[in-house]
Amino acid sequence: MIEVRDVTKRFGATVALDGVSFRLDKGEILGFLGPNGAGKSTAMKIVTTFLAPDGGTVSVDGIDVLRNPLEVRSRIGYLPENHPLYVDMMVHEYLQFVGRARGLAGDELRRRLEWVVEACGLGSVFRKPINELSKGFRQRTGLAQALIHDPEVLILDEPTSGLDPLQIIGIRELIQGLARSKTIIFSTHILQEVSPVTDRVVIINGGRIVADGRIGELERAAMGRNRIFVAYRAPAAEAEAALRGLGGLHEVRPVAGRDGAARFEVRTDFGQDVLAPLGRLGQSRGWDLLELQESPFSLEDTFIALTRQGAAPREVSHV
Amino acid sequence: MSNAGVIFRREFAAYFNSPIAYIFIIVFLVLNCGLFMTPFFLAQLADMRDFFGNLPLFLIFFIPAVTMRLWAEDKRSGTFELLMTLPMKSSEVMLGKYLAAMAFYVVALLGTLPIPIMLAMLGNPDLGAVFGGYLGALLLGGLYMAVGIFTSGLLRDQISAFILGMLACFALFLVGVPAVSATIDGWVGGFGSFLQNAFGLMPHYQALQRGVLELGDLVYFLGLTAVFLVLNAVWLEGRKY
Repeated sequence: MIEVRDVTKRFGATVALDGVSFRLDKGEILGFLGPNGAGKSTAMKIVTTFLAPDGGTVSVDGIDVLRNPLEVRSRIGYLPENHPLYVDMMVHEYLQFVGRARGLAGDELRRRLEWVVEACGLGSVFRKPINELSKGFRQRTGLAQALIHDPEVLILDEPTSGLDPLQIIGIRELIQGLARSKTIIFSTHILQEVSPVTDRVVIINGGRIVADGRIGELERAAMGRNRIFVAYRAPAAEAEAALRGLGGLHEVRPVAGRDGAARFEVRTDFGQDVLAPLGRLGQSRGWDLLELQESPFSLEDTFIALTRQGAAPREVSHV
Repeated sequence: MSNAGVIFRREFAAYFNSPIAYIFIIVFLVLNCGLFMTPFFLAQLADMRDFFGNLPLFLIFFIPAVTMRLWAEDKRSGTFELLMTLPMKSSEVMLGKYLAAMAFYVVALLGTLPIPIMLAMLGNPDLGAVFGGYLGALLLGGLYMAVGIFTSGLLRDQISAFILGMLACFALFLVGVPAVSATIDGWVGGFGSFLQNAFGLMPHYQALQRGVLELGDLVYFLGLTAVFLVLNAVWLEGRKY
């Protein structure tokens, strides 16, 4: 549905995008992650035809963004990072304006208006001036604007930035609700927002794609090892020596634990069962087992690891 | 064309959504009519020559104030991205904005109609000159407007857009003033006359003011207006790269 191939973009001497490629199939949701200034917005502006790429090709539904930008635009609903709102208008005037500008009229326009007002929860502010709206309602009005023409593709640049937790959940639910019928790219630098909505992510840093795949795969690839926490009621030095004597552990590191507990972080290969041996170790020595848990790396760890490595582009897997 | 119409409606309404429109129109009418009435009572002539004679200078301030917001405001607020990702050509968006600004100017100009009506009641004005004067006012305003919308696109800040637009209009005005072109001729032989003939608006405007309708004058105004609108459209496309 969306195909970005080898796209580069420069602003003067700054390279904003450097050989960016990714693709998205119909109905997929993509979380577009990266630190501020990584090139997320630039990439989205190129897909929406607001900017033209210096090199490479971008197509939406098989249509090239340079050759036929108007066709591409008619298929896309776009929420730019800055609220694209005319604050001197009322919510309904504004949505009518965008609807008309997108070719809707008459009954169809009325039907779509009713739908977006319902879907975005704008009923209570429908006839209010936009400059009187709270940030959450402004964001929803922006989202309603992107949805008014029932686009196949939705491009949302930081749809939850600056919102409070309840509003974030609202926007997230809205995106989830649209998920079945639309192809969606949304960008964020807040990692917790990705996993409830989708597990497909592209991570960009310094204008390059540093990872592209499912969250789980990325975690493994980025961190290499599984992580396990184990704690015994035992003398620390003795327990550490015993753990080091156990086969299959790559790393044993004492970490802070409760009083009287010897607590360790150990690393193993993925797919290797070490929980049972660790349990038996305690039994055989007569130590109480206080903690034994697999602690997979969070998206944060992955993100930090990948954006630090960012100098060299790596492809983890293509979906 | 219906695309430009949608933009036109929104932009035209935007002028009247804020009190600025009314302040603008009132200032326009009070200043113009005030400047006209003093010599009118002194000379007691039933013509509008003084009225139209003031316009080229007066509009240098008025028109850029109307056009300064056209792109600069969108660029600052983020709606520029919305407009440039609508399924219509950027030239259609521009045309909608341009025509909305023109319509606003026409409304202001309509407010001066009591003057010719008063003249017709008091005396026997040369209606051809009045008609030519209004046509000249429209064409002159249209040209300044095209200059203004172009300069508004170049900048993000409305005040800078206003000043740049004013300077550009003032330049068009100055090169058509004989004293200025003679001075430039003194520096570089023939250059001042060339500028005056090619770009100076006063000779063309004064012909219309006398009620003389000549193709050359129409071509000058409409042609130069088109040049600035095309420049604006080129800038809108070129901005992507």
